[in-house]
Amino acid sequence: MEINFLVMLIIIPLVVSIINFILPRNLQKLFTLAGIGYSIYIVYILYTQKAESASFFGSIILSVDKLGLLTLSFIQLLSFIILIFSLKGLDKEIEREYFILYPLTVAFCNGVILSINSISFMIFWGLSGLTLYLLGLLGKTSDTPKTIKKTFILIGGSDAFLIMGFVLLAYLNPTINWSLNNSQLPLNSLSAYISFFFLLIAAFTKAGGFPFHTWVPDFSKDAPVESAAFLPASLDKFLGIFLLAKIVTGYFNIDFSINLIIISLGALTVITAVMMAMNQHNGKKLLGYHAVSQVGYMIMGVGSGNVLAFAGGLFHMINHTIYKSCLFLSFGSVEKKTGTSELDDLGGLGKKMPVTFTCSLIAAFSISGIPPFNGFFSKWMIYQGLFNQVKEISSLEKILLLICIILALFGSALTLASFMKFIHAVYLGKRISTFDKITEAPFNQLFSNSILAFLCISFGLLSLQIPLSIFIYPALTEMNLIIPDFIGLYNPTLILFLFGIAFIVGISFFLFSPKIRYDNVYLGGSLPEEKFRIAGTEFYNEIRNMKPLKSIYDWADKKYFDLYEVGTKGTFKLSDLFQKAHPGQLQLYLLYVVAGLLIFLLLI
Amino acid sequence: MIIPYFIIIPLLAAFLITLIAGEKDDWAIILSIIAVISLLILSLFSYITMHTETLSYYMSSWKIPVGIVLVQDALTSFMLVLVSIISLTSLIFSISYVRNLSGDWKYYSLFMLLVAGMNGVIITGDLFNLFVFVEISIFAAYALVAYGGKAEEFEASFKYAVMGSVSSTIVLLGIAVTYSATSTLTLAKIGEQLPSINSSIKLWIGGLFVAGFGLKAAAMPFHAWLPDAHSSAPAPISAMLSGILIKILGMYVLVRIFFNIFDAPQFFLNIFLIIGSISMIAGVFLAVGQWDFKRLLAYHSISQMGYIFLGFGLSTTLGILGGVFHLLNHALFKSLLFYNAGAVETVTGTRDLRKLGNLTRIIPTTSNTSMIASLAISGIPPFNGFFSKLIIIIAAIEANQPVYALIAVIGSILTLASFMKVQRYGFRSEKKADVNGKSIDWKMNFAMITLAVLCVATSLMIIPGIREIALDPVVDVLQNRTLYIQLVMGK
Repeated sequence: MEINFLVMLIIIPLVVSIINFILPRNLQKLFTLAGIGYSIYIVYILYTQKAESASFFGSIILSVDKLGLLTLSFIQLLSFIILIFSLKGLDKEIEREYFILYPLTVAFCNGVILSINSISFMIFWGLSGLTLYLLGLLGKTSDTPKTIKKTFILIGGSDAFLIMGFVLLAYLNPTINWSLNNSQLPLNSLSAYISFFFLLIAAFTKAGGFPFHTWVPDFSKDAPVESAAFLPASLDKFLGIFLLAKIVTGYFNIDFSINLIIISLGALTVITAVMMAMNQHNGKKLLGYHAVSQVGYMIMGVGSGNVLAFAGGLFHMINHTIYKSCLFLSFGSVEKKTGTSELDDLGGLGKKMPVTFTCSLIAAFSISGIPPFNGFFSKWMIYQGLFNQVKEISSLEKILLLICIILALFGSALTLASFMKFIHAVYLGKRISTFDKITEAPFNQLFSNSILAFLCISFGLLSLQIPLSIFIYPALTEMNLIIPDFIGLYNPTLILFLFGIAFIVGISFFLFSPKIRYDNVYLGGSLPEEKFRIAGTEFYNEIRNMKPLKSIYDWADKKYFDLYEVGTKGTFKLSDLFQKAHPGQLQLYLLYVVAGLLIFLLLI
Repeated sequence: MIIPYFIIIPLLAAFLITLIAGEKDDWAIILSIIAVISLLILSLFSYITMHTETLSYYMSSWKIPVGIVLVQDALTSFMLVLVSIISLTSLIFSISYVRNLSGDWKYYSLFMLLVAGMNGVIITGDLFNLFVFVEISIFAAYALVAYGGKAEEFEASFKYAVMGSVSSTIVLLGIAVTYSATSTLTLAKIGEQLPSINSSIKLWIGGLFVAGFGLKAAAMPFHAWLPDAHSSAPAPISAMLSGILIKILGMYVLVRIFFNIFDAPQFFLNIFLIIGSISMIAGVFLAVGQWDFKRLLAYHSISQMGYIFLGFGLSTTLGILGGVFHLLNHALFKSLLFYNAGAVETVTGTRDLRKLGNLTRIIPTTSNTSMIASLAISGIPPFNGFFSKLIIIIAAIEANQPVYALIAVIGSILTLASFMKVQRYGFRSEKKADVNGKSIDWKMNFAMITLAVLCVATSLMIIPGIREIALDPVVDVLQNRTLYIQLVMGK
């Protein structure tokens, strides 16, 4: 029998996971590494030769297009890098389960991307949510049970919407017989709208878009850091944005007003999440909020209906997974060394962990959109695309779109601000004496962080040559989208050159300026106490306490904006109401029966 | 002819236990296990070999309409297999569990009567005979609910008995009307006569049956007895009641009467849809606020029965398939969940979720199997509940009833929420749980693992090749409507 590579891409990680049940730990690691390495090789083969689609039960189940191939490549790549990070330093108690679940997750995510049949898509989508839940359960903080419950209610609940959306889609398109080729269904009936928005809910929840994002920050805080970098920061982004891209370009044919709704939701995601991120005291939660906020840009780009912004959105998806996993993982190294993820307790670790610090800094520059790092380039493409769009629409839509763009720009600035705080609180400032014996992270962690940081730089400098022309443009060409010529002003080499000059000038000022004296800090003649240390978490308290924002923040603290919390409260209220109707009195119950019978007989 | 043995074996076992077991509980256990295993073998044998055949057996060779006829077709065999599987695991679970109560032979005798009654209901082709079997099993159930002997259990049993009698009265009234209209009690014969009788009388009969058997199926608004009865009974009995009793006495009878005899009139299908969706939503809202583990499960039985009603009410091939499949799946995972609750109660002495803690280390088998069951009932792939719910949702949309599909989706999300609550507080909480030193022995674990494996294995029934053998014959029986009458009447 001929080997079908698409099937192999699911089977191999699956088999690795099953065999890992019986292998001893070290072999588990090697075996997983080999398995995921092999799937990278398969993806490479898929680039060189045309993939045969796979059929089961008489219909085509697995197939891959260029967009899928792009997503698959980065799923394998990120899984491989994060796997290297996980090889050493994982909590011994959870190692066994972790290495069983890890390849399983990869298999299911590959399954989602490869599915061209909506039934198998739903199954793999649900399964990937299940492994997210199981990986989250490995967390050890006291909030883990609560967080994981919330996560899975949101994720599993969105699965139900996905099912409904796909079933309606198949019903409206009886000819396609559950296949997911680009049906371009026009939104002309209520069912079509419901189907569209339900699928959108599923994509938003998975990727972490407003208002279904609330599980991401909590999950990031309470799950093991490896799984936070692996799922909400990387793989779930791929799945969610992949689905979003399919919805807006393939399954449905939408007009610009719908695009505008998606763009506004994206802008809201950007701004709300970044505002929340600024005030976090927990490093992982802060990163989690940024993982949400960055999704906003992807949603804006992919959902905009403009080719350039669409390409930018896809590029941002790739970039985001790279720098966000770098941030998570490097912070993970810090957490493993210091035993805490609270920013108040950290500080001054840059000298002790220089490589980790550098990687973290590069990733922070990337996420803040500083040229020439990769994050800048994709945001730049999104903005350009959106501005191009502005020219072609009515004035009311124009205003709304401009507001969205401004919010997104503002979000970028706040991201930078927030990462100033993060970098300061973890790596700069004064070190607490208990951390004096801290050493640099193990080699495997440094290795994967450096690769990610290297990708941040190279994807920024060579964005046109590598990611865009190898991965993204082919996908666009296949979708019959024409790539506009846009790069008028921006040239990475030139920017690098200018930045380099500025850097050299700065260094020379530093070196040739009059003597700098280093001394201990004194306060009233005595050494300062701990309470005078600037931890950095208080940087933006002014914003927190500003007039209109204060009450909004207070409401956010009371979880008024958390769809899950609001939903829970509402459900319990209704439940109480029903409960009151069931006090355990037999007479009442008999009355129900009589009433029911009477209604039947009256109906007859 | 093996048909009558499905009644004879459990009935005989029940009497033998009282006769020869006496004070010796071990004999009672051995006897009942032998009986149930032979039932399982017989039912599996007939399920596998029969396919689409329909067999009739005339008791003492008296012909219709004088004698009583027993009928076995694919639907019957399917239900018999289900009863045997759940009874067997329930018995195995009981062996150590019931000793914790006041362990004795009476329990096993009553248990066998319960099984005899259910098998009788499934297999009989006579309306009054069906009523008698319903009463046999439900009387055994009253006694078993009160088996623990505490005040709360007596109260639950009393309520159950009152409500049960009300439903029996309604059913009896329905039978009386039927008899006066058709002059026969054989189901097939009634079906023959029906087209010729007054349509308003037909509606009356239907209305009384929906109310009477709907009460036994715990459909809203006839559901209120269920949470008390099912949460107070010993865990293996709760599993029997929630897992199969409400389905056999309620759902199976309704489906048999309305599809095969009444030819599925649209009016009653609409009633099925409406009470199905009310049960689905109200049941799950009631469940999600519960803190008593078993009460929460009991309310979910109402909600899940709603799905089954919905599937059958759609009456398309896909809808019936979904209903039948969900009926099987619900029996499996709900029974498993009741065993889990029983095991937790054995170890911690409480059913209050708030008082439980992290049990994953203390009773790993129970926590893992409960995870499987929770995911299955919430409709998470790859477990069986996902597929049956999916079929029902697809069926609802293809039948152009998207509102019901939406209700099913909402119900499914809330189900997930309440089972996440069970997992979070009951098994994986950050607290340490108080345990009383009792342990879960291998017999209980065996029962739980068996059902957990089945929860995964039955998902395979969705694969086309297997589905054609396992589920399609059952669906055909209901889809072919009144073909049943012709087959039984031998035409």
